Parts: sequence; structure tokens; C-alpha cells
Amino acid sequence: MPLTAVGGGELMTPVLRVEDLHHTYLPGTPFEAVSLQGVNMEVQEGEIVAIIGPTGSGKSTLIQHFNGLISPQRGSVTVLGQDLRDHDLDIKRLRRQVGMIFQTPEQQLFEQYVGDDIAFGPRNFGLDAAEVRQRVKRAMEMVGLGFEDFKDRLTFSLSGGEMRKVAIAGVLALEPRILVFDEPTSGLDPATASEFLAKIRELRDLEKVTIIIVSHNMESVAQLADRIYVIVQGQSVLEGTPQQIFSQSDQIRDYGLDTPQVTQVMQGLRSCGRPVRADLLSVREAEEEICRCFDLTERQVDH
Amino acid sequence: MTDYSAFGNLTIGQYLPYGSLVHHLDPRAKIVMFSLLVAGVTFASSFSASVLLLAALMGIVRLSRTPLRYALQGLRPALPWIAIFATLQLLFYQGQYGSDVCSTIWSWGFINITTCSIRQIGLMVLRLLEFMIVISLLTLTTTTAELTHGMDLLLSPLRRLRFPAHELSLIFAIALRFAPTLAGELERIMKAQASRGADFGEQGRLRFIQRTRNMLPLMVPLFLSALRRAEDLTLAMEARGYTGGKGRTSYVTLSAQPADYLALGTVCVFCAILFFLPLETLDTLIVATVSHNMQEVYSLIAH
Repeated sequence: MPLTAVGGGELMTPVLRVEDLHHTYLPGTPFEAVSLQGVNMEVQEGEIVAIIGPTGSGKSTLIQHFNGLISPQRGSVTVLGQDLRDHDLDIKRLRRQVGMIFQTPEQQLFEQYVGDDIAFGPRNFGLDAAEVRQRVKRAMEMVGLGFEDFKDRLTFSLSGGEMRKVAIAGVLALEPRILVFDEPTSGLDPATASEFLAKIRELRDLEKVTIIIVSHNMESVAQLADRIYVIVQGQSVLEGTPQQIFSQSDQIRDYGLDTPQVTQVMQGLRSCGRPVRADLLSVREAEEEICRCFDLTERQVDH
Repeated sequence: MTDYSAFGNLTIGQYLPYGSLVHHLDPRAKIVMFSLLVAGVTFASSFSASVLLLAALMGIVRLSRTPLRYALQGLRPALPWIAIFATLQLLFYQGQYGSDVCSTIWSWGFINITTCSIRQIGLMVLRLLEFMIVISLLTLTTTTAELTHGMDLLLSPLRRLRFPAHELSLIFAIALRFAPTLAGELERIMKAQASRGADFGEQGRLRFIQRTRNMLPLMVPLFLSALRRAEDLTLAMEARGYTGGKGRTSYVTLSAQPADYLALGTVCVFCAILFFLPLETLDTLIVATVSHNMQEVYSLIAH
């Protein structure tokens, strides 16, 4: 069961804390647009936290606060003990600790050779050549690109999926403690997408990286996240485990979001009067539950 | 902290939908009017004429209900250059302009500051200000669609001379249309690279080579995306059966109203006044008076 939270919860200080965060774009102009109006959240070390919300709810604005691309206008953001309102904040250090992977990150590639592009980050932080090489190698292996095989390939001759891997390796090479993904699987085919999600979980399990994900894909959120925050119109409105969140399906739908298809099926069965559990998230669990409820054995289902 | 949203604040090309008198004028009339005003700013070589022009422009800004701050926002990046030029002119201006009426305020070696050089600086600053207002005003009060349409119609008589009027206005429209898009794109790429520890413009203004090299991680992705956009646009236009200007009709037909003729007439008369009134003489008079007074002031101090 991957759905249990890591660590002891209350005993730890959170690695990231957002309190009553507000943000308005272009204040005082005719284009003024309120983006955030009171977001609160906390992320513990080693957690995978998902942020979901309808388009334009302020998710992207929120995550850009995490590595200081946007500074808090009102409210506070504390990341790894650093207050982002602090004027003496070491922004470079923060950016090394918080890796940010934007939507379609392959569009940020610019170096001719794959290896150089991945080395861009570590070089910016002034690491020596041997260390840079080591990190590039490790990062490439983490995303499943062979170091010897790929490091001297031409960046722009790669396929879309490979380019995305390169871009992600470019951020992993910073060896951040917190990794933020904005729509990690958008535009990928299903097989590559689930491969990516498995990699993300691996990062948390093996490297103990704290992970924050913004996604519209409820299936992947349900399977990956330990906890979910729902952001609607710039406010954090719900927080909980995927089961807790998706069992409130009416409310979720009111917010313009959706529950995973599995959950919808189970709830549909329930409303037909079948006594199945409705808080299930994966196909496997649903299968077992349906078999139990309808007195089928698994063998019958398989054939 | 660097503000990466600065590029999104580009004033030129941003339409402000205030629906004022100026907004409702026929785009053809507006284009002619603003061209006349640009000509006015260019050829008005006297200080008095510039002051008159500025007053007139302020009037138009008022009429258009555009916040003045907004019309001037584009000036901000140019301020350091204006300061440099102003200083150079102040120190080294050895103008031929009516040297008989000037008086020296301060002189040291070959540096000679006179009332004339001060007039010259005033003239330069005023001109820049006016240019900025004229150009911003046109785009702030006219949508790109209107502008293009107006330009297309204005240039259409030239079509008989095989002048590619439609194509030219299309190029113009595309350029205007994509300026904010590319600015947004640039902002996105900047944020992605900054997340990998890239520095922009924080390494000393004089290290040109370093600074140029720092731009590479921005320029390569930006050009790639611009090319990709161009390709998409071509396909989209082809798919909708675009075959160039020949036989193309328009959804909106422009018809000039009395107000358009009135506005145009007013601007014509105003420019004629600027051109034909002996404003140079007025200038000489003012400078002479000021210089004379200066001399009196000096003689007083000498006493």
C-alpha cells in the first residue's frame, strides 16, 4: 500500500509552510488580477503532496513562490527554515534546494549536447568538474538515460520523451531536497506517463526527496500522492489523503474537478444499491472489492 | 529579488479597453493623426513647440482616459540612456544655435555649460517623452485588428503599383500580436533557467561578453519556440484557406464619421500652427531673457 504517509506527522517540522498567502498580478493597472487570496499549506519531509484545482485557480502562482521566483506579497512562505520575505535570503541556495520542473520542460533546453545541458545547473552553482560529471551521470541514470550512450548526443535530435527526461535530469542534477512538478505527464503517451510517475515515486522512496505535484490528472494524483490540497479561486479549500478528498465527490465536482474513474464506478455501484466501498482509488483494489461484493472469484474475472 | 514578470508589463502593443472618444475614432483617421504627430515631434526643433506638443498630447491622454503612468511606462527602461545623453549634451554641447543669446553658466577647460545647452537637453527629454506618448497612445487605444485593417485600407491605393499592402499590414499585425506572447514566453524560460541557478544581469553591467553568454539559455529556447509558433501559424492559416490579400473581403467595414474628420482636421491645424508660427524666435527670446537675467544674477553675486 503506497498510500500511507511517511514519518510521524506532527513530530516533524514541515519542510515547507505557506500561511495566508496572497498574490495579485499587475496591481494598480487595468490588468490587475487576483491570483491567490489566502492559501495555507504544510508539507512534511519525504511526503508526496499533490495540488489540484481548476484552471486559473492559482496553482502555478503558488508553486512559483516555493523557490523564490515570486516573493510573497502578503502572508508568508517558509521553505527549509528560510523565510522568503527575508531580504538577506540566499536565493541561489534556495533554488539549489528546491528543484522546479515546469510544464513541458523540454522547451527550456538550449545546449547542443545532452550532457552540457544537464550540467548547466550544477555549473551555475560553481561545483567542480569532477562533481558536475558525477552528478550528471547520476541524474541521467535516475531518469533512465544511459550516461555513456546519451551524454554526447545532440539535444535537438532526441524524441520528445527523451528531451523531457533530459530536462528533468537537468533539475535532478542539482540534487534538490524538494522537487516541484507542474503537470509532469502532460503531452506524454500513457506508457511513458506511468513510467514517469513510477520514477517520481522512486525518487521519494530511494532519495528521500520531498515531492510536490500540480496536476489535472486525477488518476495519477490518486495513485501517487500521500496528501492532496485543493485550491479553488486562490484559496486552499480542502486538504486530506486521496481517499478523504475523493470520497467528497459532490464537492469536488462543484469545484470543477473530477474524481478518478475508479472512484466514479464504485460510487455508481453504490448508488445502484450495491454495498461496495466507494473510497477506492486503484483498479486493482476496485477489482478485489467488486469480486468480494458479487461473490466472484478472481479467476472468473480474468476470463 | 529579481522580478521576472517585468517582461509581461510591456506597454507597447497592449490595448486598454476604456471605450473613450479616442478609442472610437476610425483607425484610419487615428493612424494619419498619430503619424502627423510623430512628424510634428520629429520636426519641431524649438523648445516652445515641444512644450505645445506635450500639452496637446496630455490633452489626448486625458481624452482617452488612459492613466498617464501607463502611457509612460515604456519609458522606464530608456531612462539610463536618457540620463547619459543628457549629461553628454550638458558637458560637450557646442551648438551653433544662437550663441549670441546664450550665457555661460559654468565653464572649465573645454567644458562649457550654457543656457543653450540646457535648452537643448530640455528639448531632447521632451521629444523622447512625446515619442513615447504618441506611440503608446496609438496602441493603447486601438486594437491590433483595427490597426491592421486601417493600415491595409490606407495602403490599398498603392496596390495598383504592385505594392504588397495587405501582406505588409499582415506582417505588422503578426508582429504586434506576438510581442506580448513572446514576452510571456521569455518570462517562462527565464524562470525555468533561474530555477537551474542561472543569473541574469547581476554580474556587473560592464562584463558584456559574460552578459551576452548568459543570454544564450534564453535566446535558444525563445527562437525555437518562435519558429515553432511561426510554423503552427502557417499551418493554421493554410487550413482556413488563407490565400493572401487578393479578393479578400472584411468582416468590419469602416466608415468615417464627422467626428473622425473633425479630429483629423484639428490635428492638421495644430501641426500647421507648429510649423508656421515663428516659435524659433519665441525660443530665442526666452533664452535671451533667461541668459540676460543670469548675467544680472552673476553680477549681483560678484558684488
